[in-house]
Amino acid sequence: MSDATRTHPSLDELRAEALEWGRKPRARGSWYVTEHMVRAMRAYGWTIVVGALGQPILYLLGLGLGLAALIQTDIDDGGRAVPYLVFIAPALLMTAAISVASEEFTYPVMAGFKWRRYFYGFNASPLSSPQIANGVILGATARMFIAVAAYYLFIWVFGAVPDPSLGWIAIPVGVLAGVSFGIPLMAYAASIEDDKGQFALVQRFIFMPMFLFSGTFYPLETLPGWLQWIGWISPLWHASELGRMLTYGPVDGAAAGVHLAYLLVLAAVGYLLGRRIFERRLAK
Amino acid sequence: MTLAAASDTTRRRGGVRALWAGNPQAVVQRGLLAARSSSWIVVLSGFFEPVFFLASMGIGLGSLVGDVQTSAGLDVPYAAFIAPALLAVSAMNGAIYDSTWNVFFKLNYGRLYEGMLSTSLGPLDVALGEILYALLRGLLYATGFMIIMQVLGLNLAPTAILALPAVLLIAFGFASVGMAITSYMKTFQHMDWINFVLLPMFLFSATFYPITVYPEPVQVIVQALPLWHGVELIRGLTTGALSAGMLWHVLYYVVMIGIGLVFTTKRLRALFLD
Repeated sequence: MSDATRTHPSLDELRAEALEWGRKPRARGSWYVTEHMVRAMRAYGWTIVVGALGQPILYLLGLGLGLAALIQTDIDDGGRAVPYLVFIAPALLMTAAISVASEEFTYPVMAGFKWRRYFYGFNASPLSSPQIANGVILGATARMFIAVAAYYLFIWVFGAVPDPSLGWIAIPVGVLAGVSFGIPLMAYAASIEDDKGQFALVQRFIFMPMFLFSGTFYPLETLPGWLQWIGWISPLWHASELGRMLTYGPVDGAAAGVHLAYLLVLAAVGYLLGRRIFERRLAK
Repeated sequence: MTLAAASDTTRRRGGVRALWAGNPQAVVQRGLLAARSSSWIVVLSGFFEPVFFLASMGIGLGSLVGDVQTSAGLDVPYAAFIAPALLAVSAMNGAIYDSTWNVFFKLNYGRLYEGMLSTSLGPLDVALGEILYALLRGLLYATGFMIIMQVLGLNLAPTAILALPAVLLIAFGFASVGMAITSYMKTFQHMDWINFVLLPMFLFSATFYPITVYPEPVQVIVQALPLWHGVELIRGLTTGALSAGMLWHVLYYVVMIGIGLVFTTKRLRALFLD
């Protein structure tokens, strides 16, 4: 009855209404996607919690304390001698962020484009493709923050942070480390059309060598010259150096600036690239 | 189905005959055929992981640590200390990967075993075949790693060659238990728990430093875990410090293999035949 009495809206009115409904997602689209990504993580919530708490404990006990028993003398890190545990703690913190990044910026991206195709679903709504990329990044960042904060609290309680007044800054640096490794990885993941085990290769030939040859377990200078370049290009080494400056000093302004700039450039270049790849692939 | 059931009653009567057609090689063969279409780089890449660890830890930490004393009382360079442990770890990882992730997919997505079990193959054939296939890969990695150890001079005694069969024993143990456990897993999230078991075992099994750095109660726990036995066995062989006590490590794995095989066979039977 009421349908019959209502006059049919004109095309302009319909368009105005659609735009009105689209306005909010247009403005807050990134957050909507973030919400989706974070909610999707609940499927493996336990893994995240146990990973965020369990891994630092294991690595610190296993490598920190165990090796410390073998390496009785302090580590000479650029003029400052620190106990082995204090030396590796910040590097392990950065590794935690980067390993979260290597999970969150690979399979969920592949799932969004290929396996479950939810990015195409988002794209059919008023959300734009850069917003979808933003949402993936923000969702992963939230998880990295939790992992890094838990790690920091743990090493702090464990006495591996001699200088807590600056040490806490290692938390945002950790998130930056994860992002600077993760966003370029996301760009790569978004460009993969066929899954031929590329992520396993990334894990083995990029993540693992980076973890092992970035001066995580000993100062980078200990390695022979022909291996040191791995550290120089690796975001993990730059982040670990920053973490070491912050947790036990001394802070060298110029060096810190270089490390920070390198991480930011990686993240920014990765972002520009990733945005374009998202836009192109979703427009197909 | 009736035809298969009829031939079953005539050809296999009770006991192990119901589980076993004596043809696990068919399953191995299928694995090799299927491997052709998978990415060989991914398969090959598994070999590099222990090599990277050896290079990083051996070169970098080695210069900080110097010599380390093995459980047999031998002082060896740090690289020679961790290399046999990494060999055992790669045997474990390879076997676990093949018997968990691969089996998980075949079980829940590929529905491969259902197909196999509707032929004349029994659950024991399938279990043994899959495990043997996993061992082939383990043998490949181990041989490559042994060559590297030899080149770097980390094999300190001729008995090192025995590390190859030892690796197979270790891989067999982990693969048979891994496959049994995988049969209980239903979702990807369950699979994540495998890492939570493997990581501490990897870090604590006297891999990177002697077990004596731990307090006594922790040592007992570590000694109850399978990887420690593997590490000790292979380290004994490559450093040449043999003792009768090493037979206990072998026995540990023999028992593990037995339990794993019985368990896996029962599970496959319960899942698909009962």
